[in-house]
Amino acid sequence: MANARALDKRRKSIRNIRKITRTMELIATARYKKAMDRAHAVTAYTDRLSQIVSSLSAAGTEVDHPLLQPRDNPKAVRVLVLSSNRGLCGGYNAGILRAAAPRIRELADSIGNVTVDVSGKRGINGLKFRGIQTAETYLQFEDQPAYDEVEKIASGFLDQYITGQFDRLEVVYTKFISTSRQEATIETLLPFGSLDEGESVSADATVDSQNANQYEFLPTAESILEEVVPTSFKAKLFKCFLDAAVSEQVARMIAMKGATESAGEMISQLSMTYNRARQSQITGEIMEIIGGVEALKG
Amino acid sequence: MALRCVVVTPERTQLDREAEYISLPMFDGELGVMNGRAPMIGRLGYGTMKLQTAAGPERYYIDGGFAHVEGDVVNVLTGKAIPVDLLDSEEARNALQEALELPASSPEESQIKATAVMKARGQVRASR
Repeated sequence: MANARALDKRRKSIRNIRKITRTMELIATARYKKAMDRAHAVTAYTDRLSQIVSSLSAAGTEVDHPLLQPRDNPKAVRVLVLSSNRGLCGGYNAGILRAAAPRIRELADSIGNVTVDVSGKRGINGLKFRGIQTAETYLQFEDQPAYDEVEKIASGFLDQYITGQFDRLEVVYTKFISTSRQEATIETLLPFGSLDEGESVSADATVDSQNANQYEFLPTAESILEEVVPTSFKAKLFKCFLDAAVSEQVARMIAMKGATESAGEMISQLSMTYNRARQSQITGEIMEIIGGVEALKG
Repeated sequence: MALRCVVVTPERTQLDREAEYISLPMFDGELGVMNGRAPMIGRLGYGTMKLQTAAGPERYYIDGGFAHVEGDVVNVLTGKAIPVDLLDSEEARNALQEALELPASSPEESQIKATAVMKARGQVRASR
């Protein structure tokens, strides 16, 4: 039977770890709520944007923009991988890397010229370990990515795309579906797929079509469209960053919850072993005394 | 009856208040909005938005985007809206200098440059 003192020491250290993981869980919960609020705020923006798009199309404007047209025979591809700066968030970063690495290899085989940008320390190290060269790395994105920072990156991408430095932009990030489901996804952001995000938007558009005709477009509908497409792209990229941030906090919350629970289980198991060890020690000592008494009698 | 001005950025709803008169920095010049304006969707440029409120005038730098006027609500969708007092004129001037030094050897590049210059000029003008 193990030494009772050693068992007690171990139990104490596990208790300390449990305290830490519980605190981390609470912090992740608070951050998750904040990140979630921001993700909701961006929908207010995108909703209004799609409202403008639907009134534009209802007014009979041809939705046509260089960013919307797919390019034949892409020669260069850019991949942006969104991971986290910190660990202890379960399978979050592993999931991202598992999606990103094969995709990058596949693109390298089929197209050849692949440039990889990474956000987050974990992703940088993970890709380095897998032997994938990275171009730009970003470390400034935590649980609340700032639109200013994202916009800089987005404008950089737009400029490079328009000047033909690459023909496709793919983003690998963790899509937040619900609190219990986040998925590592690969999305092609450039060429920009379509302006209407969901079915609901087009449904609204038909209802609004009578109202939409009465809008005055300043300076012209075409000029507005010219601006709508890049703006939607920026908003979408920002949404990717926000989704990644929310998913990271959820992943950490769940991982830390699991850690706290297993620490609790371990403590109760160790307590039992400790009590048994203590009891057997006492029994041993009593036996020794009884043995001594018996010896003296005889 | 007063106008309601709502400024929405991707991060949050930055401003939601009543105003008697709003002057919007449109892509091709300023546009004043008062109560009872016809519904309008417009492209914003880089410049100053002026609000005439009951508490006095307010000025914000608007970084492009769209304006959507319907009824007595003016929705402004923009990347950022900064109160003019918080703008740094030194920084704006540096941005203009950088923008002027951008290459413009192809039509695409010159367009990018023109936008950057326009943006920086708007900031310099607003920060004065």
